[in-house]
Amino acid sequence: MSASLLILIPLLPLIGFLINGIGFRRVPKGAVGVIGSLAALGSFAVSVAVLSAFKAAGSEPQVVSLFDWITVGNLNIPFSFQIDQLSLLMLMIVTGVGSLIHIYSIGYMKHDEGFGKFFAFLNLFLFFMLLLVMGSNYVIMFIGWEGVGLCSYLLIGFWNTNTNYNNAARKAFIMNRIGDLGFLLGIFTIIATFGSVEYTEVFSQATGLSIGDPVVVTITLLLFVGAMGKSAQIPLFTWLPDAMAGPTPVSALIHAATMVTAGIYMVIRSNVLYSLAPFTLEVISIVGIATVLLAASIGLLQNDIKKVLAYSTVSQLGYMFVALGVMAYSASMFHVITHAFFKALLFLGAGSVIHAMSDEQDIRSMGGLRKKLPITFLTFLIGTIAIAGIPPFAGFFSKDEILAHAYEHNKLLWALGVLGSLMTSFYMFRLLFLTFFGQFRGTHEQEHHLHESPAAMTIPLVILAIFSAVGGFMGVPEALGGTHQLAEFMSPLYEGARQVNPEAFAATTLSHSEEFMLMGISVAAALIAAIAAYVMYVSRNSVPAPDTAERSSLERLVYNKYYVDELYNGVFVKPIAGLSNLLYSFGEFFIDLIVLGTGRLVKGVSGQLRQTQTGSVGYYIFAMVVGIVAILFWNLLIR
Amino acid sequence: MNPTLSIFYFLSFLTVLSALMVVFSRSPIHSVLYLILTFFCLTGHYILLNAQFLAAVNIIVYAGAIMVLFLFVIMFLNMKKEDEEAKTNLTKIAAMIVAGTLFVILFGAYRKSIIGAYNPYEYNSQVGMVESLGAVLFRDYLLPFELASVLFLIAMTGAVMLGRREVGERHF
Amino acid sequence: MYPIILLSVLGIVVLFLGFMKSKNILLPATLLFLALALGSNFIDWNQGPLLYFYGMFSVTNLTLAFNAIVLISAFLIVAMTRGFQDDEEAQPAEYYGIMLFSLVGAIMIIGYEHLIIFFVGIEILSVAMYILTGSDKRNLRSNEASLKYFLMGAFATGIMLFGIALLYGATGAFSLTGIRGFVSTAAGAQSYILYAGLLLLLIGMLFKVSAAPFHFWTPDVYDGAPSIFTTFMSTIVKTAGFAAIFRLLSHSFAGIYDFWYITLAVITVLTLFVGNVVAVYQDSFKRMMAYSSISHAGYLLIALTALTAQTERSILFYSMAYSVATISAFGVLMLIAKEKSLDGRPNESYDAFNGLAKQNPLLAFVLTVSMLSLAGIPLTAGFWGKFFVFSSAADRGLIWMLVVAVLMSAVGIYYYFRVVIASYMKEGNTGKIRVAPFYQIVLVAATVITILFGLAPGFFEQLL
Repeated sequence: MSASLLILIPLLPLIGFLINGIGFRRVPKGAVGVIGSLAALGSFAVSVAVLSAFKAAGSEPQVVSLFDWITVGNLNIPFSFQIDQLSLLMLMIVTGVGSLIHIYSIGYMKHDEGFGKFFAFLNLFLFFMLLLVMGSNYVIMFIGWEGVGLCSYLLIGFWNTNTNYNNAARKAFIMNRIGDLGFLLGIFTIIATFGSVEYTEVFSQATGLSIGDPVVVTITLLLFVGAMGKSAQIPLFTWLPDAMAGPTPVSALIHAATMVTAGIYMVIRSNVLYSLAPFTLEVISIVGIATVLLAASIGLLQNDIKKVLAYSTVSQLGYMFVALGVMAYSASMFHVITHAFFKALLFLGAGSVIHAMSDEQDIRSMGGLRKKLPITFLTFLIGTIAIAGIPPFAGFFSKDEILAHAYEHNKLLWALGVLGSLMTSFYMFRLLFLTFFGQFRGTHEQEHHLHESPAAMTIPLVILAIFSAVGGFMGVPEALGGTHQLAEFMSPLYEGARQVNPEAFAATTLSHSEEFMLMGISVAAALIAAIAAYVMYVSRNSVPAPDTAERSSLERLVYNKYYVDELYNGVFVKPIAGLSNLLYSFGEFFIDLIVLGTGRLVKGVSGQLRQTQTGSVGYYIFAMVVGIVAILFWNLLIR
Repeated sequence: MNPTLSIFYFLSFLTVLSALMVVFSRSPIHSVLYLILTFFCLTGHYILLNAQFLAAVNIIVYAGAIMVLFLFVIMFLNMKKEDEEAKTNLTKIAAMIVAGTLFVILFGAYRKSIIGAYNPYEYNSQVGMVESLGAVLFRDYLLPFELASVLFLIAMTGAVMLGRREVGERHF
Repeated sequence: MYPIILLSVLGIVVLFLGFMKSKNILLPATLLFLALALGSNFIDWNQGPLLYFYGMFSVTNLTLAFNAIVLISAFLIVAMTRGFQDDEEAQPAEYYGIMLFSLVGAIMIIGYEHLIIFFVGIEILSVAMYILTGSDKRNLRSNEASLKYFLMGAFATGIMLFGIALLYGATGAFSLTGIRGFVSTAAGAQSYILYAGLLLLLIGMLFKVSAAPFHFWTPDVYDGAPSIFTTFMSTIVKTAGFAAIFRLLSHSFAGIYDFWYITLAVITVLTLFVGNVVAVYQDSFKRMMAYSSISHAGYLLIALTALTAQTERSILFYSMAYSVATISAFGVLMLIAKEKSLDGRPNESYDAFNGLAKQNPLLAFVLTVSMLSLAGIPLTAGFWGKFFVFSSAADRGLIWMLVVAVLMSAVGIYYYFRVVIASYMKEGNTGKIRVAPFYQIVLVAATVITILFGLAPGFFEQLL
């Protein structure tokens, strides 16, 4: 595999960025989208070529060194790319889904005046994301990590005339920075411990350590803090829903399919270290499951189409961390892949709906769109089924695998996971029904304007829908008579981890009948939730009350419902609504209070310290002398 | 007690006393006069140490030129009256405490350390003379000696620059 | 060695050029002289460690590299003065002369081998700064700053001299090698007079680089001084000062590392804390830069506290990155402050930057890159500066210090980004600012250096 071929993968988006970025306002509008998309497609094509060459060469991982980058004392950091199963999988997702979203954006952003700027940023994002997944050491990963954060900041605040959007962008940036600090500290601890940042070197040294070594626990915890920030886990998750302020293709690419999975990529990449730190794994699975439940329950009552999807993303990311926590690395990656398909699909579908509705995002004003937007409806339906975990669509296989591993590890974890999956199914079908079924509830003008999106937008939808439907077959469990191709493909990645912690990778102890039972339960949960949603939102035609509860809708609610409904409302909906609202306020206010409160604390201390700058020389010199006396006193008399 | 030692103690006593008086006297002019006395005592120390050249320079430059300049400036600025309101009792007490602590610390450090002894019979009595001083200054210390002139040049340039009369400023 | 002689002579030449009728020759002449000095600096390149003037002054490739940073920074700063054309009161010949002389002091303290050279050097540098701070004679703030700086500087000099005297008393030597010889003996490692001398000398030096709690002069002085000289102070004095402290600690006192590192570590953390936290509250960009310079002193102190084999290179790289970014930041500030001046005084608040990017994309870009570099965002030179410094701390196992430093650098992002946000996202009525071509070249050069060393920091190593 030649280096020149590899370097093309990140280079093409960079060239696209440079052309569109420098030539912004000069490149004709028609060419901008073509250049941007070609850059993404080109690197996808090269990635495919690299993948086939990799398979042909016997699937041997290799490090391709481009040049010597930095040498500081005995620490040598080359600029090199590592090509193995993990980076190839990530490459396929990033460039593949990325290309589709680029094409989609041509249609979606057509009327925006910042069209060129948008594509430039999108290409820049791809460049950094590719650096992140291809780098062969933690420093390159960190550079990509920071770079994607910066791009996400730029793209969230893309419509920067709106102050709220700017605040969302800043929130995302600050929260990400908190995570990044953990990551950076982790890297320095790695340097101090192993004297290298190269993956191969670090992991081969790590195999010599014993399980539960405090240094490894520290490193893994610090790295996990980084992952929490980037992958929106408790307590650093509130930025992701706010990030929906950005254009929808950005939400699909950055805040659903690729960037937010960087944290999972990093943990899988460091699987040797994590396998050595059972304590960290416990923390990860607890944080993961808590995020699943919190985000899913908040998603139950959101009325903004993108917010629902955002909370759903947070909750799905939680599943991936649960899988990591139980050392089911392949299952986690599997979910990353399928999630990339169906969540990108759902976001793009939502974008298509928003496009048709003239930028309306409130599902209470939608309804009955299935006739007007047939392709969008069909693809969205597939995405919904996939995420809800109903076989044979993609989400079923990956989520089921995670739940099976969780069951093996801890029954409670599994039960909570199933609860989360129940909620997932409910809020997704609720979204689907409210948007596409029933009567249209928007204004007359909007109704008049309704139209199916152009081909540039629907083609990516169809392609993603196909993958969401069949993508799961790359990992059919043995119980269903298939072979888990993905797990087999990824198996060489865990050589080191298997060496240090063999029992974690032992074959499953679950019997086939047990596995069937687990599948049955989760499918049943998903179906029940879907039916409940159908009953509520299609049969009974109920619409969530508007924020300023109008008299008429309240009356309708009372008149049209039976006593059962009220009972149902009182016993089931209200407590859940209360809980959901409570959790929502917990999430939004309490956590923001902690995170932003730190900011206020700094400002407060700063204000106090500023008072010391009085301007009087006598006082300054007095303070200096006190400092001198303290230093001398301690050094000369005390010690 | 041999006469050199008794002179040393007398001079030291006088030096410390006059230095204290510089700080304690209320009138700036008295302070300057005490400072001149301090310099004279230090000159005495130089002579005791067999450094006649330094002793002469100290008298001419410090006690002579610089102190006259000080006096001139003080009289010029009409600072005869003591300026009490600038310093409150609190600052005085705080300064006393800090200075006292500093003294105690340094004294403590001095007590803890071992001071190397020297043999008076091996001591070269000519070391402080003009001849050997000149030899050291113009050979070993040539570079800092010459570069000190850059320092003075900067100070001069700066003084001229800052002191130059601006258009429209009044004459003295 | 050669630049010292050359600059001393050429400084006098510049003073004499001031007598000529035409003031236009001063700027090109000064730039030419700086270029000459820079060229002469490399005569000793790769000649191995050399000692000049009976072991007074030493030259190695690394001290030459420090000299080069100082001289290049001075070149960029002088190029931004534009001959002080805008100011009728200015006396360019004196300014340029003093700047050249002050560089003599800076180079002396970079390569001193003897404490006398160090002392004379730091006095040359300091006296020059006192004068330049007060050079805006009509401005009361400038006068006040100058006086404050002078009073406090004189006090610090006294402390430093006391320290040197105690060191001589304890060791009987002024030269770094002589002191090291004494420190390596059993008695030397236990001598309290030596300890007291070291601490006092160190305190004096830390004052000059504005480490807490000796930083109080910095905000007032940086704020009061004319911006161009603030730039000079915050880059050249800092670079030379850190080279000097490093020299003292590594050449003479590495043997008693266990004695001084705790003190230095506490000062480091305090400096980082004060610099970063107080910077958050500032409304004036210039004052923020003053606190930022305190915080960068803190990062450089981390490298000193760690004192590994890599420390000198880390300090070198960091100073380079910091100087270049600071110069371009102040360059943009000066343009804007003048454009937005209120009642004839430059406007240095954050608000002056509002809406900068609309009409002046180049200035906004230069400013953004320099802020990113100061904040330590990857792919800028500032990131690698921090990276090298932090990794040397990790090497020493000073993890707790690293945690503080990393947290504080997060605080730094906040105040550095404020001005970026102001220039890109806020509404303002900044018109097109005309930038002189030469000025533009300086800004672009500084930005290119920042990005170049951000992309390939290894390139810098290869230069050495």
